Amino acid sequence: MRIFSTDHKVIGKQYIGLALFSVLFGMVLSLIMRFHLVHPDTKVKLFGLLWPDGAPGGQMTPELYLSLMTMHGTIMVFFVLTTAPQSGFGNYFLPLQIGAHDMAFPVLNMLSFWTTALSLLTLLAALIVEGGAPLSGWTAYPPLSGLGKITGPGQGLGQDLWILSIALFCVASLMAAINFIVTVIELRAPDMGYFDMPLTCWGWFVTALISLFAFAVLLAGGILLMLDRNAGTSFFIPGGLIVNDQIQTRSGGSPVLFQHLFWFFGHPEVYIAILPGMGLISTILSVFSGKKVFGYKAMAIALLAIGGLGFVVWGHHMFISGMSPYSSIAFSVLTLAVGVPSAVKTFNWLATLWGGRLRFTAAMHFALGFVSLFITGGITGLILGQPGLDIYFHDTYFVVAHFHLIMGVAAIFAIFAGLHYWFPKMYGRFLHEGLGKLHFYLTFVGVYAVFVPLHFAGFVGNPRRFPDFKEYEFLKSVMPLHIGVTHAAYFLAAAQLIFLFNYFWSQRRGAVAPTNPWGATTREWRDD
Amino acid sequence: MTNVARTGQALLIAASSMFFAAFTSAMVVRRGLSGDWITPLLPTWVWATLLLGPLASWLIQRGHVRPAMAAGAALVSSQLALLAGLRLFVIGEAFFGVLIAAHAAHAVAGVAAIGRFGARASLFWHFVGALWIYLVFLFEVWA
Repeated sequence: MRIFSTDHKVIGKQYIGLALFSVLFGMVLSLIMRFHLVHPDTKVKLFGLLWPDGAPGGQMTPELYLSLMTMHGTIMVFFVLTTAPQSGFGNYFLPLQIGAHDMAFPVLNMLSFWTTALSLLTLLAALIVEGGAPLSGWTAYPPLSGLGKITGPGQGLGQDLWILSIALFCVASLMAAINFIVTVIELRAPDMGYFDMPLTCWGWFVTALISLFAFAVLLAGGILLMLDRNAGTSFFIPGGLIVNDQIQTRSGGSPVLFQHLFWFFGHPEVYIAILPGMGLISTILSVFSGKKVFGYKAMAIALLAIGGLGFVVWGHHMFISGMSPYSSIAFSVLTLAVGVPSAVKTFNWLATLWGGRLRFTAAMHFALGFVSLFITGGITGLILGQPGLDIYFHDTYFVVAHFHLIMGVAAIFAIFAGLHYWFPKMYGRFLHEGLGKLHFYLTFVGVYAVFVPLHFAGFVGNPRRFPDFKEYEFLKSVMPLHIGVTHAAYFLAAAQLIFLFNYFWSQRRGAVAPTNPWGATTREWRDD
Repeated sequence: MTNVARTGQALLIAASSMFFAAFTSAMVVRRGLSGDWITPLLPTWVWATLLLGPLASWLIQRGHVRPAMAAGAALVSSQLALLAGLRLFVIGEAFFGVLIAAHAAHAVAGVAAIGRFGARASLFWHFVGALWIYLVFLFEVWA
């Protein structure tokens, strides 16, 4: 296998490999954070060795906690949820499913991957430069992210590297989006109309359309933020700031302007993560029910509707930014409207299962798990979409629980489902079914054990991004809950070792798969 | 031009349009936020540069690739000259600087594409020329 290959199958595997590395890295960061939350005063020698400045004597500082949180969020959102379902599976299977010999622009495809890899390296470099990784979260709100190192460790070179990394990622994603869309429009088999495509292809197609418009805006916001930091401009820096006892001379900018630019990308990003999974789950439920997808056209149109609505709801992330109540109502109504196509999809999935000859393979387990998580996470989205409730829940663990379920874990269940389903095509062997099901049950219990209690922490107003709860009297009551969540997180992480073993062991030792092991009707199983 | 090339360029234009739309909307909002906005005074020769994009487009259509590239290079050079005179701490000039630089990057890519692909890259170059006219009018007429 050539490293700088232009073959779509190789590039697909490279994206999946990059996402696998990233998800493990991000998971380790989350475990360190969970450990610190329940043992804030414990000194850990390893922390002191890894971060001499961030954890002197092994005692983690609040700044280090925030930098780990920033890196966890950024790595998971961009390098796992955005890359694996779309660029990983999409690169490998889109050409096969539409009858094309490769993506439309193979060299551009290779450049997309390597730009993504460079972006990841740039981000990881932030961990080892002076000051460490940035503190401003994956949203990088100014003025914290816009003023430079005066705002804290990590806000110097670390934040610059973060912005550069995201800019590179935007460029890579734009290249990939163009490639996907052109491939679908121009390289479909002559006998394949748009409404003949598998729903997986619809998922990748709509996701690419969203990416094309969303990442361009994030890139623009990132460039302006970089200039605020390094060129003395004031796009996002308001007047009258005193930071660390120093008066800031710049004025006239608005952090809210950055929030608008960021969330115009940020909300569609949720759909970039989840839409490929929706397409994939539709296919898997159909194959293992022995039936056609119920309401195929409605499913494709629902994908388009979700993608379109995703661009007009960004204001619901900013209800507390001081926006007009009339704007809030508009954003709220549009947000709740996303529930309509989402419900179409959910009920069609259930109707696909209804009366089918169900085969409970590991892939089917993860597909059903996806539906469960999508419903659970989606319902809390309806709560957060209402300004009156969101103002209370904003920046609490309720939000953390919501987006982890709907955007994080649901998408990761889709990745697991896809790996079990397509592994025979990718490697000629099956993933071990028994280990796959064991991994599913432990993971399914684990994710609910972690994220359901966090909703309750949100109910009592437990703020997110706080490194030490014991400092606050009103949070002492939630410490037992956090201890339970942390143990559940350890359990969940341990369960992933089963998958890792299965993934690598099965590539060499798994049972040899026939050409079309699941009896599917899509083209990838008949094309070589 | 093949359909693949045409569709690819159309999508690139869509992404670039969104990129510049983001800058434009940010500029509109930032201009209205406070009283520190000063619109940069552009030299009169800027109006002449508006012809360079369409001129290059016209040359490409007639197969004169090198003269078209020269016209594109002249446009980029004029933009660099404009950039050199801007003060980034003045917000109006900073926005204009960002837009010029972003456009210059597109123009460089456009010139390179003409050199590599000739008339097959014409669609993108037409966009680059039209975009420059839009940007100058945005600052000289609207702002």
